[in-house]
Amino acid sequence: MSDSSLPCGVAYDDLLTQVADGAAPPDSAHQRTCPYCRALLAELETLWRPVQRLAAEDVRAPSTLLSAVMARVSELSRHPWHAVITTELGETRIAARVIAAVARLAAVEVPSVTLALGGGRTSRDSSAAEVGRAQAASTVGVAGSHVVVDVAIAVEMGASIHTVADQVRDHLTRRVADQVGLTPAEVNVDIVDVSPAAT
Amino acid sequence: MSVGREGWLDRAAHVRDAESQASWERALVAQAQAGNEDAFETLVRWHQDRAYGVALRMTGHTEDAKDVVQDALVYAWESLPGFRGESRVGTWLLRIVINRCHNLRRAARPTVALPVDDASEVASVPGTDWQVVTKHHYDATVRAIAALPFDQRAVLVLRTFDGCTHAEIGRILGITEGTAKVRLHRARQTLDEQLREWR
Repeated sequence: MSDSSLPCGVAYDDLLTQVADGAAPPDSAHQRTCPYCRALLAELETLWRPVQRLAAEDVRAPSTLLSAVMARVSELSRHPWHAVITTELGETRIAARVIAAVARLAAVEVPSVTLALGGGRTSRDSSAAEVGRAQAASTVGVAGSHVVVDVAIAVEMGASIHTVADQVRDHLTRRVADQVGLTPAEVNVDIVDVSPAAT
Repeated sequence: MSVGREGWLDRAAHVRDAESQASWERALVAQAQAGNEDAFETLVRWHQDRAYGVALRMTGHTEDAKDVVQDALVYAWESLPGFRGESRVGTWLLRIVINRCHNLRRAARPTVALPVDDASEVASVPGTDWQVVTKHHYDATVRAIAALPFDQRAVLVLRTFDGCTHAEIGRILGITEGTAKVRLHRARQTLDEQLREWR
């Protein structure tokens, strides 16, 4: 039926769209006088009346929805500095600084990347104490089991910066998912320095 | 917009015109991203009816719709750190709701979809033939929409029950405007055939 046209040449689908959308007719003069169009329009309006009644309903969210949502939000907010992985036997909470460290160490696993640290030094030639301070180079936003990671890196001279940034993003996403079991909602890579190529 | 003064949330809750709401919405999102639950609650109040309306027509069942929207809103809270404001909150939330509907495991439900208006009471009182037929058409329509293939159902629901334009549908579903039109056309053909079978 939907592939057919009326004897007057008007396509069935055009009238179906008109009725379903409640739109004005493209050729009102024709429709006013054409018996084929008028008959089909009357039939379609009857057929689609239940849909239009449904669409006219004033649907409101259940009164309990808001309180249920906010109760769960409050529960999540009790651990603002942790990512929370819920299991049947309890919760695993991972501090944001741990995720930041994983992100930072994952970033330097990518070829041509050295992580920017204070004083222009990189993680490859830093002492343990300096690595500890390097957490400022990567920040993490945590909400439940989702994390947003901002990581700042230095790239070796000669490397394609956007290629390296993409590699960091992919590698870091996999690392955080595999090692920490979290879902990176976003990984932002800031290129803050270029360092001489490693010899 | 400054949101630091006491009582700004109360004012935000009563914003009605679209331009002011967009401005307040940006401020509320920023506050919610910083962990302000009251700001998020205001956003939920603004968008919960629309989200529930879409979920109800997508699932055809009030309890499924409530579960979907509740999960979607909690997920939205978890994902707020990654929300960059490139789309309106309503668009973003509907995308989450639609995705949740897609993932919904349809547990065997012994009852048909429950309507939300007075028609739901028709069957419980002595009624005329007309009332019975109306109730039958109502339930059948809800079932027919919920039984549409997911891709068709999503565009039909957004267009018919949420009043979205083709462009808005495209933004919500991550498809082109042209694809939205094609899917809507197919959805209407499918539903039209179904409605004819129930005459």
